[in-house]
Amino acid sequence: MTSRTMQAHPAGEHEAAAVMQHGQSGMPTALVGMLLFIASEVMFFAGLFATYFNARASVGAGQWGPPEGAHELDLPLAAVLTAILVASSFTMQFGVWAIRRGDTGKLKLWTGITLALGALFLAGQLYDYSELGFGISDGVFGTTFYTLTGFHGAHVFGGTVGLTIVLARAMRGQFSARNHVAVEAVSMYWHFVDVVWIGVFSTIYLLR
Amino acid sequence: MPDTVIGFVLLGIVMLVVLGIVFAIASRGGPATAAAKPPRGVHMPGPSFLPVVMSVAAALLGAGLAFRGQDQLANPFLAIPGLLVLVAGVVAWVRAANHEWRDTEHGSHDDGAAH
Amino acid sequence: MATTTLEPRAGTYRRSWVIEWLTTVDHKKIGILYIVNSFLFFFAAGILALVIRTELAVPGLQIVDQATYNQAFTMHGTIMLFLFIIPALSGFGNYIVPLMLGAPDMAFPRINALSFWLLPLGGLLIFSGYLFGGAAAEGWTGYAPLTGQEYGTTPGTDLWIIGLTLVGTASILGAVNFIATIFKMRAPGMTLFRMPIFVWTVLVTAVLILLATPVLAAGLIALFIDRNYGGSFFDPTVGGNPILWQHIFWFFGHPEVYIVILPAMGVVSEILPVFSRKPLFGYKAFVFATIAIGLLSFSVWAHHMFTTGEVFLPFFAFMTALIAVPTGVKMFNWLATLWRGKLMLATPMLFALGFVSMFLIGGLSGVMLSSPPIDFHVQDTYFVVAHLHYVFFGGSVFGVFAATYYWFPKMTGRKLNEPLGKVHFWIHFIGFNLAFFPMHQLGLDGMPRRISDYSPDAGWTLLNFVSTIGAFMVAVSIIPFLINVIATFINGEPAGDDPWEGNTLEWATTSPPPPYNFDRLPPIHSERPLFFLTHGHGHAAERPADLEETEEEDVEHRGGLV
Repeated sequence: MTSRTMQAHPAGEHEAAAVMQHGQSGMPTALVGMLLFIASEVMFFAGLFATYFNARASVGAGQWGPPEGAHELDLPLAAVLTAILVASSFTMQFGVWAIRRGDTGKLKLWTGITLALGALFLAGQLYDYSELGFGISDGVFGTTFYTLTGFHGAHVFGGTVGLTIVLARAMRGQFSARNHVAVEAVSMYWHFVDVVWIGVFSTIYLLR
Repeated sequence: MPDTVIGFVLLGIVMLVVLGIVFAIASRGGPATAAAKPPRGVHMPGPSFLPVVMSVAAALLGAGLAFRGQDQLANPFLAIPGLLVLVAGVVAWVRAANHEWRDTEHGSHDDGAAH
Repeated sequence: MATTTLEPRAGTYRRSWVIEWLTTVDHKKIGILYIVNSFLFFFAAGILALVIRTELAVPGLQIVDQATYNQAFTMHGTIMLFLFIIPALSGFGNYIVPLMLGAPDMAFPRINALSFWLLPLGGLLIFSGYLFGGAAAEGWTGYAPLTGQEYGTTPGTDLWIIGLTLVGTASILGAVNFIATIFKMRAPGMTLFRMPIFVWTVLVTAVLILLATPVLAAGLIALFIDRNYGGSFFDPTVGGNPILWQHIFWFFGHPEVYIVILPAMGVVSEILPVFSRKPLFGYKAFVFATIAIGLLSFSVWAHHMFTTGEVFLPFFAFMTALIAVPTGVKMFNWLATLWRGKLMLATPMLFALGFVSMFLIGGLSGVMLSSPPIDFHVQDTYFVVAHLHYVFFGGSVFGVFAATYYWFPKMTGRKLNEPLGKVHFWIHFIGFNLAFFPMHQLGLDGMPRRISDYSPDAGWTLLNFVSTIGAFMVAVSIIPFLINVIATFINGEPAGDDPWEGNTLEWATTSPPPPYNFDRLPPIHSERPLFFLTHGHGHAAERPADLEETEEEDVEHRGGLV
């Protein structure tokens, strides 16, 4: 049997298209995909956190920290970076709210600010690394520290790539109130990255 | 030595079987048909080289990490091409997805032939 | 130029089939690619199994040295699990799930293709170790510190790590695709509790993959850092902990074995009702049992580590025994499905019955292993090897073959030859039991696993020899299978839309289905929509009580749009 052409029925077509496009209810399929992907990333970081906690328990919480002769961790800098990233989540959300209202101008503004804050975070992270005085091969604290913060930083970088794409598309006028799934998806990812950082910061810098 | 021999023998067998099966499937042929059209209003991407290209790029990047020299992060001859192709692939993927999304959204009020 | 086919191409023409298969995003073609690729890796890993069994048949190192032997069992395990069973079941999932849901394709077709293509490349990386001084040789479980910088010096291990990371990524992307498809692309009328059991098992499997595989990725990355960048995760001399590797690996590793078995259980749950001419007994119990297994699978990982001395034994023993309960529920449901059914013993049914019986044995040896006193005695012996082969091979692989015989007509439009199929089954079944049942006794007699040789005074020679005969029988049984597949491709009997009188939607379209799957869908008011279409809404008792729930538009008015 050869393939037959679909019978097109005018009545109910667009409702049907809407059903297919956005699924049987609410959340667009692309957002479902992003949410699931984020779930897998949460488990990835869970694995990394597990290595951190296991190593810390093995070494003993009292002796846990940078190796002999290296600087102590820079808590003030990390706190500033936390503030930057948290602020960027707010600005991201302002951007999402703007485009939901159809305000492309504000979307561009807030996305740009979020991108700048993200880049600032990364720069600060790299500066922190350069000041630390120990490396990934300097004992288990160094290994877990750099792995956890490093992979988080890589995810922030991925987020900035997404933000750049969103900004570029916004500047070409490709988003509207009705059609801006990419913005919602990137914002979800960005909030995830922020929440993970709060976990990283609390664990490494506050809990010690 | 025996390891390499096993490797090549396995590779040879695999290649022969692959080619045999592919030949059997492909030689069945069938009447030429028009390329399929998705149901109206549904966003279905068409055929694309990007998945193969991205996989090869990822494999190159991975091989670069596996074959690194003593003080390297990764083997540059493998990792750099891999990374470049990966980035180019991501760009192409986003652009293609973007293009198709817009077509679906703006094309759903006609019979889908406008492009 | 865009790569979209939102418009029909002018005229008709034949694309080069190489390009067509390289660039396809059609779930059916991708499913076939998965299955063919999987079988190729199956044969490769099977050859390695023959190497292992040949070496072990009699005492003395006859054909390989110890290093080569270690590579053989490592590659055998890794390839069988990651590149055969999971992708094969994934391939059937890819092909069949959208059809069963009445959907035109998966939710993310291009990512679907990416998920596939990462597999042969990942597999190639893993195998390429052979070409560069030796493949990974530390067991598919890759325990530190053997895999660490000091002992695991071959590049093969790094290639193994990288290759597995690629394969794992492919799995995770596939899982995202399956979950999104199942939640978002069901045809109208198909509520979650009207989905076929196969779809349910694929859903739970996808959730397990989504949540467990990233942990493996974390572990593999940590291992790579230890090996290559001076990391200290698993190296006790610099503050690391080798047992950490086992925790991370098995936290993934245990859900992994349920990832391997659940879809096969789904296949069997599709086949048994069709070939017993009876509905599946206890549909809802089955669904809840599957979900329970999925949830519990995250709580039992340390039963692989009882003998490390670092595990809280009562908790893990209890949870492991507990997970046998929903599995038992399923076993009961299958038996109840068969009971008083009009059994048609075609080849798919034979493999499904083989699954039920072999998995029962494997499950029982698993319950035995859940008891620490027993486990302390048989850990790392051939008893475990027997158990894992009864569940992986007697379970999942039988499921893969059952699926192959069952859905081959749908995928190709031709029916496989029945007598050849039966020859395959019986040689396979007998050979399998001959190969693996003696291993229970060998384990109890103390034969450790992963050894390339043993003393002639140990008393293990006879059973090893018998086991090797069985292994070669299994290998021989593949011959009628291959002949069958190739001959049917070339000149097989046409199958028609519904050769088995199935219950589910994949049989409501042509064999093979047209590009976007359905021209018309039957109305969906139960979990056996095709059955009711063919047989009418007969007994009132058979109509599910939730029929009133459905107030959605009649599918007929949609015409071809699902």
